[in-house]
Amino acid sequence: MLSAEAMGDTPHLLLVDDERSIREPLAQYLTRQGFRVTQAGDAESARTRLAAYAIDLVILDIMMPGEDGLSLCRHIAASSDTPVILLTAKAEETDRIVGLEMGADDYVVKPFSPRELATRAKVVLRRLTAGGSRQHAPESGSYAFAGWVLKTGERALVDREGVSVPLSTGEYNLLFALVTRPRQVLTRDQLLDLTQGREAAAFDRAIDNQVSRLRKKIEPDPKNPDIIKTVWGGGYTLAAEVTRL
Amino acid sequence: MIRIWPRSLAGQMALLVALALFVAQAINFAMLLRERRQIALEQVAGPAATRFVDAIERMAQGRPIRTDRGRVRLLAASPVRVHAPDEPAIASTLRGALIESGVPVGRIDTAIVPFDQSDDFARRLPARRRAWLQENGATLVIALQRPGGQWLVQRLPWVRRDPGLVWRLAGQTGVLFVVLLLPVLWIARRLSLPLRQLTAAAEQFGAGDPPAPLSADGPDDIARLIAAFNALTLRVRAMLDEKDRMLGAIGHDLRTPLAALRVRIESVDDDTDRARMADTVDEMNRTLDDILSLARLGRPSEPMTETDLAALVDAVVEDFRDLGAPVEFVEADRLPLRIRPSLMRRAVRNLIENAVKYGGGAIVRIEPSPRRVAIVVEDDGPGIPPDRLDDVFDPFTRLETSRNRDTGGIGLGLALARAIAREAGGDVTLTNRPGGGLAATVVLTR
Repeated sequence: MLSAEAMGDTPHLLLVDDERSIREPLAQYLTRQGFRVTQAGDAESARTRLAAYAIDLVILDIMMPGEDGLSLCRHIAASSDTPVILLTAKAEETDRIVGLEMGADDYVVKPFSPRELATRAKVVLRRLTAGGSRQHAPESGSYAFAGWVLKTGERALVDREGVSVPLSTGEYNLLFALVTRPRQVLTRDQLLDLTQGREAAAFDRAIDNQVSRLRKKIEPDPKNPDIIKTVWGGGYTLAAEVTRL
Repeated sequence: MIRIWPRSLAGQMALLVALALFVAQAINFAMLLRERRQIALEQVAGPAATRFVDAIERMAQGRPIRTDRGRVRLLAASPVRVHAPDEPAIASTLRGALIESGVPVGRIDTAIVPFDQSDDFARRLPARRRAWLQENGATLVIALQRPGGQWLVQRLPWVRRDPGLVWRLAGQTGVLFVVLLLPVLWIARRLSLPLRQLTAAAEQFGAGDPPAPLSADGPDDIARLIAAFNALTLRVRAMLDEKDRMLGAIGHDLRTPLAALRVRIESVDDDTDRARMADTVDEMNRTLDDILSLARLGRPSEPMTETDLAALVDAVVEDFRDLGAPVEFVEADRLPLRIRPSLMRRAVRNLIENAVKYGGGAIVRIEPSPRRVAIVVEDDGPGIPPDRLDDVFDPFTRLETSRNRDTGGIGLGLALARAIAREAGGDVTLTNRPGGGLAATVVLTR
């Protein structure tokens, strides 16, 4: 499916939330931000509108009376390529994992900044245009590389001895971007793109800084890195075999 | 008395049964002794009376009683000295027997003197009996005063004590004890085993997954107790679940209007106003998060994980630095510890957040020692008056000096940090640094 952005149109969002007090001002805001917004108050009318319009992105509230957002999300993921951003009231780990396993591309926790939501919507749409591949597929699960295991559910890095090594938000996002694209050379710009939009924090710090911090944590010899290699004039690459667990 | 009284049910029951048996046997023994004495007295007094009556009849018939021969002899004076040990019961029993036979009775003297092999009554005894009496017996001397002032005297064997009796008693008690002890221990085990399981279940209650209900073993009373405990567990669990559901509902119900507000804020034109409103909503949301976390802390959903504490603190500090907060981490070696990583992150984050808010920045160190690990968050702020250092941990209390909205907050962050540390078997303490500023310390046991 071609994205609307690629066709030069304004992207068409479907905003599904039973709370009118959130839905209406949000729709107004997103319209001002240059999106075309169609609203739906429940899962049923969302299905109708999905069938009626060429929707580029669904913004979906999880907690809704009747059929809930997760179930609708599963339906969308199974029946189309339309990306989904979930609106969740809980920041609990389990919700995050469940949401991403249901095929969502991203999520924001209520109360969210509409600005941030707009940014993420753009990032998701841009990813779709750039690579054509959805992000949710490799999102959940664990990745083993060079003796380490990156667990995305718990957002933890586990060493050979089974000791979990916590990462800062910036470090996690960077490592996640590298691990899901092993042996690909990623420029600093691409890395910035890939790591931004996940969390509000860690936008402005230089990628180089994060890389050197990560190297200190995972490289046997951080001065002569074997895992995260610098590509001269290009960027960075993960020079290790990655196995999905 | 320190270690004599056993602490376990089985031990106490065994000891009590042993004591009760001993007392019962002692009473039996005393009664047995009394009876034996009575029999012994009668055995002595009966024949002695007969012989005296016989002798008196013989005297009445004019037949002489010898002074140096025969079972009964006639002496001019009582052979019993005043202070010789006597047996008054013999005298009274004998007196009764003599009066019954119609003999006028004067004084009766009795004395127990050492056994003498050469006594003629002794010579008539079998050798074994003689030897036994030599060991355990004595000679009883009974002197009966006749109306003429003369004394009729008998010498008889007298059993002083029976050493075998004590041993027989001890043996009997021992046999009883062993026979009783086995069932006592069996019933005590039947009681204490389910009780111990119950204790363990009660101690484990609350931590982690709901345990399987205990099987209602043991005697009826215990089984009923266990059944009641299982029912109680279910009720408490149901209440805790209900609490979680309610907190979730509260969270959702408050977050929705908060989210609506947050969306509407974006249409405020004034940049400063908009930023302030957004900050306020964020703060309300954080407080809501803290309240929900604090309320849920009794049943943490996150499992304990072996985690590098140094990397954890480093990551938290890094998140602050990413947002531009002046927070420094003094590098530390790898320090694996069993903790709940997300909760611990939150505790450390709350402490650093306070330091940044009130102290303008933080220096974070890890101080490992063999038994404990301390995470120290230091700031250069004004500190806290020494008498209020503990108060700031109480949820929803604010310091007098920082009551205004901008710097006050509600101190829930500290309460949550302490609750998290305590749940992990540690604590959070605050101290004013000698050079000024505050030091917040999380102490964890390794």
